[in-house]
Amino acid sequence: MTDVELETVLAECTEAVLEQMFFVRAFNGSPHSPPQELAVQVAFSGQPSGCLVLRIGAAAARSIAADFLGEEECVLSLRQVTEVICELANIICGSVLSRVESDTTFRLENPRVIGPEEVALFTGISHSVLVGDSTLTAAVHMDSPVCLTPA
Amino acid sequence: MAYRILIVDDSPAMRAFVRRVIDLSGFELSTCLEASNGIEALDCLRREWVDAILTDINMPVMDGEEFVRQIEGDPLLRSIPVIIISTDGTAHRVERMLTLGARGYVVKPFRPEELRAELERTLEVPL
Repeated sequence: MTDVELETVLAECTEAVLEQMFFVRAFNGSPHSPPQELAVQVAFSGQPSGCLVLRIGAAAARSIAADFLGEEECVLSLRQVTEVICELANIICGSVLSRVESDTTFRLENPRVIGPEEVALFTGISHSVLVGDSTLTAAVHMDSPVCLTPA
Repeated sequence: MAYRILIVDDSPAMRAFVRRVIDLSGFELSTCLEASNGIEALDCLRREWVDAILTDINMPVMDGEEFVRQIEGDPLLRSIPVIIISTDGTAHRVERMLTLGARGYVVKPFRPEELRAELERTLEVPL
């Protein structure tokens, strides 16, 4: 599978997850690091293994969390916002991996919040969308080449 | 008829979302119980009856696969339909869970109406 094909899968999965479960309409965007950003990593094992990193501005994260939980933004704790973004990363990752042909069952590790230093070290295929005034970037790194299962 | 449901997922956010989606879809619920893993869910089921179980697969302590095995191995519980809600939509995973005894499977991401449709199908709710 080419990098272009993987980016297409990542884009389709990211936008489908945002629309169907987080009730967010996403538009094409460019990678951008807002001053306050939440970054979450989901490692996965299987064939292939690798990890996905999701980055989003803090304000957009709170807005998405409020829509997901059906609560007002101001009543949400940081923990609740983080949990929702972790779940978002988890679902996007699983959705991408389900599109990738695999001889063994993949397993997702628990999502974890990562800092700017780890974000800076991460390399992978990425896709960015605009969510409100902020950018959400999903990036995936596969440890080995993969085959693509038709959607 | 209003139904009693058990939601099993290690993510509090996901449990809240599933509960909310069921409410918003208009599916009639009388009780919505929650558990964060298979062990907690089995403890709950030994105290309270439910009409259906919605469970994730990837959970600590006892995962969804083992939980479904336990349900199917218990003559008092095996009649309760289990619906899997998972990010894993691969054919072999779906087949495996249905073979173990799950009656339904919903892949994340899903629209609220998809979950409602699967609940109605599994519970054989009259149209």
